[in-house]
Amino acid sequence: MVSIVASGLIKIDRYYEFSEKDLVIEAYKDLMLKIKDVPSSVDAMIVSSTYSDILSKNLMLAFKLSNKLGVKSPISFRVENGDNGGASILTAYSLVKSGIANSVLLVGVDKFSDYPSKYINDVVSYNLDNEYQYQLGLTPHVYAALLMKRYMKKYKKEYDYFTNWPLKMHENAVENPYAYLKFKVDKKVITDSQLISEPLRLFDIAARADGASVVLITSDDMAKKFTDTPVKIESIFSSNLPIDIANANLNSIKDVSRKAINKISKEAIYEIHDSYSILASLEIESLGLAEEGKALDELENLKVNLGGGLKARGYPGSATAIYQLAELYLQLTGAHPKAMSGPEKGILLSCDDLGNSSYLISLSR
Amino acid sequence: MKISPSQSWRLKDTLYVLSLGKCKRCGNVFYPYQPLCSVCGSMDIEKIRSKGTGTLIEYTILYQNRDGFEKQVPITAGLIKLDEGIELVAPLTDVEITELKEGVRVEAVLRKVRSDSSNGIIQYGLKFRVINDAGNN
Repeated sequence: MVSIVASGLIKIDRYYEFSEKDLVIEAYKDLMLKIKDVPSSVDAMIVSSTYSDILSKNLMLAFKLSNKLGVKSPISFRVENGDNGGASILTAYSLVKSGIANSVLLVGVDKFSDYPSKYINDVVSYNLDNEYQYQLGLTPHVYAALLMKRYMKKYKKEYDYFTNWPLKMHENAVENPYAYLKFKVDKKVITDSQLISEPLRLFDIAARADGASVVLITSDDMAKKFTDTPVKIESIFSSNLPIDIANANLNSIKDVSRKAINKISKEAIYEIHDSYSILASLEIESLGLAEEGKALDELENLKVNLGGGLKARGYPGSATAIYQLAELYLQLTGAHPKAMSGPEKGILLSCDDLGNSSYLISLSR
Repeated sequence: MKISPSQSWRLKDTLYVLSLGKCKRCGNVFYPYQPLCSVCGSMDIEKIRSKGTGTLIEYTILYQNRDGFEKQVPITAGLIKLDEGIELVAPLTDVEITELKEGVRVEAVLRKVRSDSSNGIIQYGLKFRVINDAGNN
């Protein structure tokens, strides 16, 4: 079995004084303060970072971080999979599961605040098909807006339906010390917010910012050395299928949910990739946690994104999934400052911003 | 240099014409063209040119800037189903918002996309417009 034995996070924010290395050091310091025995070496360091080469002109990042942190590791590499950090979790899990490594330090880091948004919009559009859509000036927001309009027609929804998501996420983020936007909003703020790509508004979009999170993953044999309360990574499911905009379907998320059907229950706590309010709605429905066309009307009955999600906790690129993993670990061990009492199972649904590629990770205490 | 001349030239099958692939084994029609069928794996692929006409399924208006496209904002974009059966998201041009409805007919037209301020390269590409004066590009 494969276990999470420690985590470290830095509050998601705009850090003009910090580089990626500085952010990771802060997250690692947080881990060192909480762990029973600080590792002097690990068998591997996996870095989940999508934009560090483009935005910070930084290659060989895993090698550099391994040396800077003073954590010797014979294996170190970065995993780039768009905004889907789930791929790096699978990589770390596989290394331990296969016996290649007994300990893996999983690092997530990305940094958006060094450039104006029009440049960031260009870079995140690299995620689109680069033979046509990227070249013609489109952005992922266009896709999310089209998906949203198709959903609204399919289920006869008005824009008001989508306001439920940012309302709930901002409410959840208020007491989360790692959250970027720790304030409540009212519906009028959302409906009056900037129109990005109609009907998509600013409050329908994940809040880009800077962040780093680290998670130490080990084999069962080694887990007790670091903690008395390990959390098991039970299984990881994955799927790659293109979205169906016309019919408002996330094929990949539906597929991965079918594969993980025995792991999904309303008793578990969930972290989902709410890059957009429409993605949140479709992901919850694809997971089977709510009827189609009704997810955002049923949020009070669901334990989803307790820390505020990408919308309010914040969205640091593919470090996002490592934040989600770390927060689930803290929730399941009762160590999260805003911990619920009693959850024994956790599910992390990680995907790219439009839901073409997905990983579902099931955890248990 | 933001625009690579060799990259622009290499993309002539997607930026200047809509070259489709048609698999001779399974019949799959796909865009962009490539010499391998992503459905059945066949390498027996015919390159065909799309008629460039299709039907609008949905549209949106993008108000947010992207580096290099500042002067084009707001950008109207649509989900289009080509007559060959392929769905693609593409920018719309020369449109009146009032004429954009599900089911309206559209056609591809060549337009300037962006220019490179440092070396003067202009990139062109296909956008779509509502068909009401077909043949007058």
